[in-house]
Amino acid sequence: MKQAAILAGVCLALVLQLSGLAQARPDFTGTWRFNQAKSNPNIAGNTPNIPFPSQIVVKQTPAEFHVASTSVRQQPLSATYKLDGSKVTVQAPSGITETGEARFEGSNVVITSRRSFTSPLGETVVEFKEVWTVNGTALTIEKTRIESGETSTEKAVYDKI
Amino acid sequence: MRLLFAAVSAAILVGAAIPVQAHHSFSAVYDGNKPITLRGKVSKLGWSNPHAHIYVDVVNQKGETVTWEVESASATNLLRAGIRKEDFIGTEVIVKGFLAKDGTPTVNASSFTLVELKKEYTSDEATPGR
Repeated sequence: MKQAAILAGVCLALVLQLSGLAQARPDFTGTWRFNQAKSNPNIAGNTPNIPFPSQIVVKQTPAEFHVASTSVRQQPLSATYKLDGSKVTVQAPSGITETGEARFEGSNVVITSRRSFTSPLGETVVEFKEVWTVNGTALTIEKTRIESGETSTEKAVYDKI
Repeated sequence: MRLLFAAVSAAILVGAAIPVQAHHSFSAVYDGNKPITLRGKVSKLGWSNPHAHIYVDVVNQKGETVTWEVESASATNLLRAGIRKEDFIGTEVIVKGFLAKDGTPTVNASSFTLVELKKEYTSDEATPGR
């Protein structure tokens, strides 16, 4: 009786694991344009609380997640993240050093990054955590800025074009 | 007479150009890739429209005091938010904003907190295309 219960438990665990593996990861591939009307109000225009790009191009493969971000009159950033969560170097404008990691958490992609640059303050370090969710033709990014022990979070929505 | 006319015309043109220069787009002057937080004492204030300018003495990592120019919302908007000119001088302030593209100690403030007064101002000026 005890053996049967253990066997049933093992079978159940296997089934659950297989169903998890079988669950397809969402595909973020595409060109995404910032939708101000659906995003938090204070992230565009003159005084953004947290910077979000105007447009994002994503190319996703089973192992990699390539992101190229552009903003109006701002230098672009791009990175090819390994979806195993290993650290990669972000291609950032001159004067900025940035590294980051990406991984799937359920159906979301979570990107964490650490940006540093020199300012009249000295070496300035800012960390970001982004949670990406895709739903049909809408991409939502919830981004947290962590700097000098202070955190703030904003949400942006992008439309697929 | 011609010289006087030319001088007056030049003065009018320069005068007309100043407000245009004072109101500019964020992306032309500030680096959206360089968010920065400052903490220091307010040493001077430019209480004006379309932007108030707060001068903040901040100690850098070398221990030197550097005066930063903080471009904020307009004096009118600050007043509407209950923040007066008198609230600033000598007070400690925490500013969150973006560094100027030219690397000078100049930031555009997205928010600031007057520490002693426990007053926080978050700009709601954001509008598309500015």
